[in-house]
Amino acid sequence: MALDLSKIVTQVAAMAARLRASSRERRERLEHALAVLTSQDDIGRLREKINASRTTWLVAGLVDGLDKCYPAPPVPADFTVIASDGSHIDVDRHRSTRCYLINIGSVTLHYGTNPGAVLDSLPRLYAGDEDLVIAAPGQRGREQPIEGALLGIKRGVDECRHLVELAVAVPANNPTLALLDGSLILWNLEAYADFVAEELLDNGFLTCLEELSKLGQEKRLTLASYISFPRSTDVINTLRVAVCPRETVDSDRCPACETRECDSLAGVRDRELFTSLLEPGERSSLFISSSKIQQRYGAHQVHFFYLRVDAEVARIEIPQWVAADEDLLSLTHTLVLDQCQRGHGYPVSLSEAHEKAVVTGADAENFWRLVEASLVEEHLPVTGSAKNRSKRTRWV
Amino acid sequence: MPELSDRVGEVIEASTTEFVAECYELYELPPLGSLVSVGDTSLEMFGIVYHATTASVEPGRRPIARGKDEASEEEIYKSSPQLEKLLRSEFNALVVGHGGGEAIYQYLPPKPARIHSFVYLCPSERVKEFSQSFDFLNLLLNTSLPVSVEELVAATLRQMSQAQEDKQTFLKAAGRELAVLLSSEFSRLRAILGRIVPEDG
Repeated sequence: MALDLSKIVTQVAAMAARLRASSRERRERLEHALAVLTSQDDIGRLREKINASRTTWLVAGLVDGLDKCYPAPPVPADFTVIASDGSHIDVDRHRSTRCYLINIGSVTLHYGTNPGAVLDSLPRLYAGDEDLVIAAPGQRGREQPIEGALLGIKRGVDECRHLVELAVAVPANNPTLALLDGSLILWNLEAYADFVAEELLDNGFLTCLEELSKLGQEKRLTLASYISFPRSTDVINTLRVAVCPRETVDSDRCPACETRECDSLAGVRDRELFTSLLEPGERSSLFISSSKIQQRYGAHQVHFFYLRVDAEVARIEIPQWVAADEDLLSLTHTLVLDQCQRGHGYPVSLSEAHEKAVVTGADAENFWRLVEASLVEEHLPVTGSAKNRSKRTRWV
Repeated sequence: MPELSDRVGEVIEASTTEFVAECYELYELPPLGSLVSVGDTSLEMFGIVYHATTASVEPGRRPIARGKDEASEEEIYKSSPQLEKLLRSEFNALVVGHGGGEAIYQYLPPKPARIHSFVYLCPSERVKEFSQSFDFLNLLLNTSLPVSVEELVAATLRQMSQAQEDKQTFLKAAGRELAVLLSSEFSRLRAILGRIVPEDG
């Protein structure tokens, strides 16, 4: 037995006891946060304070206030939802061949007079030199291998590219929601060199958003991404700025702060705040993400709102061109909610796209077997690492 | 050559004695006991539909109840259009004969059907040709199936009688054949005969 559960039982019990002890304090902090949220009268002034502040934490920018609650508009009679999701088999350095696979699941659902569904999956193998690394233009030898977290980002770009293809194919007469899973903000690109962000963001993801926005001029098309059970604290951080007695907030000076007013909000997440504020079906005010990578987004600057679906609060991210259009914003609100209701709490289009995309451990194993069998057929060496062999052939 | 409109599905599993076919359209199943054929006129194989299922495409995903707030069953499929793609109807057919050109042989063919062969519901004319002989009854009566063989024989004869000009004469002839085949098994014979009384008479 690899993991002896009996040895961690007491540790788990201690963790549960700790959480129980702190639950009252957390409730008090949440109540305080709610009070702060609903008592901001001068939004203009708070907006100025946010703009002037320098923080290492993400502070949500304000658009229409802090504590607005919008009920969902009526659902159109006929509409279409398109969604894509992906899964991948990462490069395995213990295998004889360097390659990876991305499987994109896509879904088109038509509702109303002529209901219908198209569910599809598109697996693609990447094994060429140009597929395996991102090379810095004009700088020979400077390159970034595509694997691990970066492959996850590339997959996100492929998902969006696929969504564009779906959007091109939908008929122009139906209002359409294009839906992605996760965040529109590719913030983890911040960890990479500029040429990587240029390739995946400027020439990849943002190009797709641009195409979707252009399609939106011909069709009534809106775009959103869905984050279930979000961990973000952007709005709580806005409240931290609000309660800070200093004129301008500078997080460099926080360690020297003795009064620590913002500690009274620590540990609360946005989703807890909006679960208390919103009624089922309602959406929150609109906020702007202050992620550093947003500087590259231009006309697609990511806005977000929280949406109360029955039991949970989801974070819905939208590009600026959706946020600025009252009609598209309402359509996004109502159709995302409708998708959640049809999917028992999670958008049905995304869960079906996931089902089409998912690559299980057994699938990955079969894939590698196919790769190795094809190499054998071509009389190529299939020697993997000794570590990999030792994992596969276990002995006593 | 069979008509395209009679095409009901495609073989997804095949053996010497039976084949499983997936329907092209959800719930568009041929009736229990109906005569279906696989292949073309040069090598045609006949089967009797003995079992059918409709279930989730993926074994790990069971359907859930969805209609609590819907006005009708149809509304469930309208509000979840993906269901048509996530469910599938399949049927099993017992191989009861094969043919080549004009001839029809009511015994097992030399090879099983090929996977992806089209399955057609036999039109009345073909059913009439096939049912000129009752030799296939022997194959049916001596098979072990998940459904009662008596039920299947009765359903088959009822289906075949629909294609005949004189249903009564056809069923009486079938009854006489069964009386010979089941001469020592009165209860089985009675179970079948009790189920082939024409529904309109």
